Amino acid sequence: MIMRPGQQLLLPANRAFIWSSLVVALAINMLGNVGLWGRAAWVPDLLAVTLVFWCVHQPLRIGVGVAFTFGLLMDVHQGAMLGQHALAYTVMAFFAVAMHRRLLWFAVPTQAVQVFPLLLAAHLLVLVVRMASGGTFPGWSFFLAPFIETALWPLVSVVLLAPQRRAPDPDENRPL
Amino acid sequence: MPLGTLDRTPPPFFKQGPSALSKLVVFSAVSLFLMVADLRLGLTAPLRSAIATALYPVQWAVMQPVQAAMGVGGYFTSLHRAQQTEADALRRLAQQADRHLQLEQMEMENRQLRELLAMRERISSPSIGAQVLYDTADPFSRRVVIDRGQTHGIVAGSPVIDESGVLGQVTRVYPLVSEVTLLIDRNQSIPVLNTRTGVRSVAFGQPSADGDGLELRYTLSSADIEEGDLLTTSGIDGVYPPGLPVARVTRVERRAESSFNRVQCEPLARVQGTLHVLVLGPTGLQLPPPPESEAAPSRQRRDRHGGTAVVPRSAP
Repeated sequence: MIMRPGQQLLLPANRAFIWSSLVVALAINMLGNVGLWGRAAWVPDLLAVTLVFWCVHQPLRIGVGVAFTFGLLMDVHQGAMLGQHALAYTVMAFFAVAMHRRLLWFAVPTQAVQVFPLLLAAHLLVLVVRMASGGTFPGWSFFLAPFIETALWPLVSVVLLAPQRRAPDPDENRPL
Repeated sequence: MPLGTLDRTPPPFFKQGPSALSKLVVFSAVSLFLMVADLRLGLTAPLRSAIATALYPVQWAVMQPVQAAMGVGGYFTSLHRAQQTEADALRRLAQQADRHLQLEQMEMENRQLRELLAMRERISSPSIGAQVLYDTADPFSRRVVIDRGQTHGIVAGSPVIDESGVLGQVTRVYPLVSEVTLLIDRNQSIPVLNTRTGVRSVAFGQPSADGDGLELRYTLSSADIEEGDLLTTSGIDGVYPPGLPVARVTRVERRAESSFNRVQCEPLARVQGTLHVLVLGPTGLQLPPPPESEAAPSRQRRDRHGGTAVVPRSAP
């Protein structure tokens, strides 16, 4: 595998950590809905960001099928039309997997800029599907969500890669 | 340190499963099928119910800190406010006690009059108290989730009221929770009666980003309707019991280019942030089944006025 000079060699990703991070993202989405923001349209979808992240970093483990499944869970939780998030996440995951080799050569802020069209496309797909099936237009703040999600990308990158950055040989001075 | 992203795992060269493109095609097709099945065919209720049940532990776990925070917030509400709320509640109780006494008397009077006229008894429906858990996250619709479901005897289609009026209708029932579509949802409509004039019409939900309300469509520009008119349920739909307050007319707009008025109303129930609701049984379920038309020709002939004899009289 070709590596850029100066890059740290990462530990292998833990399967349990990947899955639990996805479930936690889903739970945070639910928490925002249940406790904080209700049905506000601008609320960022953390699950979408996490899915794109793992599709880019671990495309052999998290791919289109997982995105579809989590989309269905999201649909049922929101009480929305069954399949709208599933479709949006499927398309998003496909493009994330398609661009994963290219994206990782860039620095994280540049990655965020390149991920933005993906997230926007997912939101647009949901909007088009719902407007076509007779939904209410949720207001222009709906388009704020992909911007917030893009801003979350560096944060998600740091948090989700932290376990892989631990020292390979922990000792007294480096417990982590 | 740059945020490195390469992994040490060697990729399997040959065992990579189906390509991402084929997965995209398959899963997109499944999603589209699900949407059509959900929207047009109505086939997805079991699947949705199964996923909702699987998702319930996560929802429950998420709701615990929220409810704990609300509990703590409620605990620290100042004594003054608690006293004020109690005084308010007592005052309302006193007002209602007055009306309640009148109501008992009028009910008795009504029953006697109905017996005199040999009319059917009014239907009273059983009710279940429930608590609103949260607004659904879907910004394209207006729904809330309540904490009573199939196991508590909730039926899809039941009307839901709060302390000041009709709130909406149960549209989806899960084993432990159910979804209530509010009156202001775009796909929701309710038959109403103008209490001042006695004119019946249908109010449609009219949500928008800046303010949700109801609209009385197809009101002729010659119709007698004024701002401030109270609309109640008319009871001819077999779902909502008659006489429940629904909305108040807020704006009547005469339009020159059309023969219809634009009538906007404000729902009386608190569609934002109501906590305790009452789920009524749908009225239609308690009606007797319509008798077969062949079975009762003799009775129809015996009736002086015709028509009304189709509905059998209730047993005394």
